[in-house]
Amino acid sequence: MPLIKIDDKEIEVEKGITVLQAAIDERIEIPYYCYHPALSIVGSCRMCLVEIEGMPKLQVSCNTTIGELPPERKKDGKYDMIVRTQTEIVKRERENVLEFLLLNHPLDCPVCDQAGECYLQDYSYKYGRAHSRFLEEKRVRKNEYLGSNVIINHNRCIMCTRCVRFTREISGTNELFVQARGDVSKISIFEDKSLDNMLAGNVIDICPVGALLSTDYIHKNRFWNLEAKKSICTDCSVGCNILVYSQNNRIYRLNARENHNVNGYFICDIGRYGFHRYEDAEKVTSPLIRSDGGFKPISWEGALKEIYEQFSMSMSGEKQQIVGIASPFHTNESLFMFGRLMNNIFKDKSIIGKLPFIEDYEIHFDSGFRISKDRSPNRKGLLDFCPNLEDEILQKVKAGEVRLCYALDDGVDRKLDEEWESFFKSQRFLVVQTYAMTPLAKLAHLILLGPSPMEREGTMTNDQGRIQWLNPSVSLTNKTRPDWEIIMEFMNTVGKRELKYTSVNEVNLEMGERFPDYRGRTFFKIGYQGLPKKNITTSRPSEGRQAIQ
Amino acid sequence: MATVVTSYEPTFWDKLYIPALFQGLMLTLKHMFKKKVTIQYPDEKHVPPEGYRGLHRLNKYPDGRIRCVACEMCAAACPAHCIHIVPGPSPWEEGKERYPVRFDIDLLRCIFCGFCEMACPEKAIELTEIYDFADYSREGLWIDKAGLLEIYELTKDKNFYDNSNEE
Repeated sequence: MPLIKIDDKEIEVEKGITVLQAAIDERIEIPYYCYHPALSIVGSCRMCLVEIEGMPKLQVSCNTTIGELPPERKKDGKYDMIVRTQTEIVKRERENVLEFLLLNHPLDCPVCDQAGECYLQDYSYKYGRAHSRFLEEKRVRKNEYLGSNVIINHNRCIMCTRCVRFTREISGTNELFVQARGDVSKISIFEDKSLDNMLAGNVIDICPVGALLSTDYIHKNRFWNLEAKKSICTDCSVGCNILVYSQNNRIYRLNARENHNVNGYFICDIGRYGFHRYEDAEKVTSPLIRSDGGFKPISWEGALKEIYEQFSMSMSGEKQQIVGIASPFHTNESLFMFGRLMNNIFKDKSIIGKLPFIEDYEIHFDSGFRISKDRSPNRKGLLDFCPNLEDEILQKVKAGEVRLCYALDDGVDRKLDEEWESFFKSQRFLVVQTYAMTPLAKLAHLILLGPSPMEREGTMTNDQGRIQWLNPSVSLTNKTRPDWEIIMEFMNTVGKRELKYTSVNEVNLEMGERFPDYRGRTFFKIGYQGLPKKNITTSRPSEGRQAIQ
Repeated sequence: MATVVTSYEPTFWDKLYIPALFQGLMLTLKHMFKKKVTIQYPDEKHVPPEGYRGLHRLNKYPDGRIRCVACEMCAAACPAHCIHIVPGPSPWEEGKERYPVRFDIDLLRCIFCGFCEMACPEKAIELTEIYDFADYSREGLWIDKAGLLEIYELTKDKNFYDNSNEE
């Protein structure tokens, strides 16, 4: 293993990695724009220039690999390379590079969406000169639409070509290219194409400046107003790691979060813009009970009393059947509680079913990124916690019996087909736990107000068997109760249990006690990167380098 | 070393109190003939000097566009968190692409420190000389964009309290 020295630090590194990667791993800051760990190296921004002993000129650290020297040629007797990042000449060079990058840059930070998370801003502040010597007119170009969700501001672009390399290497769609040369060069799109692939939104994330903008977020808010929560995407069973940016309980945008065991550096556009679905949904604001064809608000106590009257009657009766409709959109904790309610309290009177799984086409990119066919986030968890799940519940339920139904709603606005609709209509009492007026909720006799997907807390198991933390990004509104708590109250009322969980962590611990696959998978242990289930080894090895930018 | 404090021992002349009384009355008499400093508010209003920090205004360009680009620098600088801005794309073809859809200031919270006008990169928000804007309700002291622009119209040419031209 080569031994190198960066500034005063001695580091032993793998042979073949670049100086910049070694520095990033050691948390030594070298500024860079064009380098991205997921993309190929071009060395075009010249920001990462460092001084390397024995080389006549400054070198781009992102494209200088570290090798091993024969013993007699080692520097200072033992080093394979001596790198200096803080010398006068390096500092002066950074100043000069930044001055060139800022030649045509409009410096319109007050109106730029990237301000606050912009590396041009940060590095200019840290390494740049305070004023410009450029007296000539700046080059001005109009904004253009690259695709339906991406706008380019050519003036702000510093030609790092991260976006061009992204469309070539990650999405494989080749929409972007660099047009012309020199100071008139610009990022362009082929005339017959538009940047509308499934990963298009990522070019906005990887743009180090504010050149690529999202139509969804442009002129909406400032970066420093937003609070970032580390969570996971619930739009397919891959469970991509995301950052949710919100202010005052309103979500403004989602960004990808690194996790090399799941999604790498990127997320798809379905997940990126998916949160609008929940905003547009017709929200329920309180538990509701059906009366005279409509719904009227009811208190939680009233709702529980209603449940007691309907369901405990069934406990004594003979010919009744309790139908539980579980949902793969719920967390492991609520499905665990739901399974307990059905299997331990209603026992053989109960039958657990589900609405048909939502499936779409599977998308695979050559770079390894995938969007799963299974568009429900927690199918694995549903099968784990409700092992006696009936696939064909419509055929299994016996005709002529009085039926009571407790349904966890998917919260997805989808039309029920006639068979399902008549099935739900034939229930004597239908309790639906939801946050929005979905077609299923409209058939209910009693609506229990659960949290929306962005308010849920718990663990989810993705299709690789990895348990990840769904962290709530907005807080619960007034009358909403967590899913597990509603089911716990249900159990206490109908089953005369005395469960007193105060938080989702306690449910999680209890879940670990009863399901060995989930033992020890507490929030503290799984952290923000998730852990595989006990009996599963990761199918995809951890790979890729961390970016500290 | 401790200092010894000796109290003033009044003389016989002091103990008469009559001379002191007349000294005081003389001072009163002197002020009777001086120029009066009391202002007959509200019939007559104090004209604050340049740089007085009173009610806010939002400046406009001569062609009527709002100078503000909704960068929220003022809101970030505000120690009282009284500025609330909702940005949006601007309706004008030329000029900056961003402008405030809503621009609200909670005057009850504002401490009139003037940090907002110092932070503003566009010279859009300014504090004017207007000091008497009391109201009967809390809602009345929540000034919006239209109100701020109206203040600009009132104060752009002359001091708000200066009536010298009108007479």
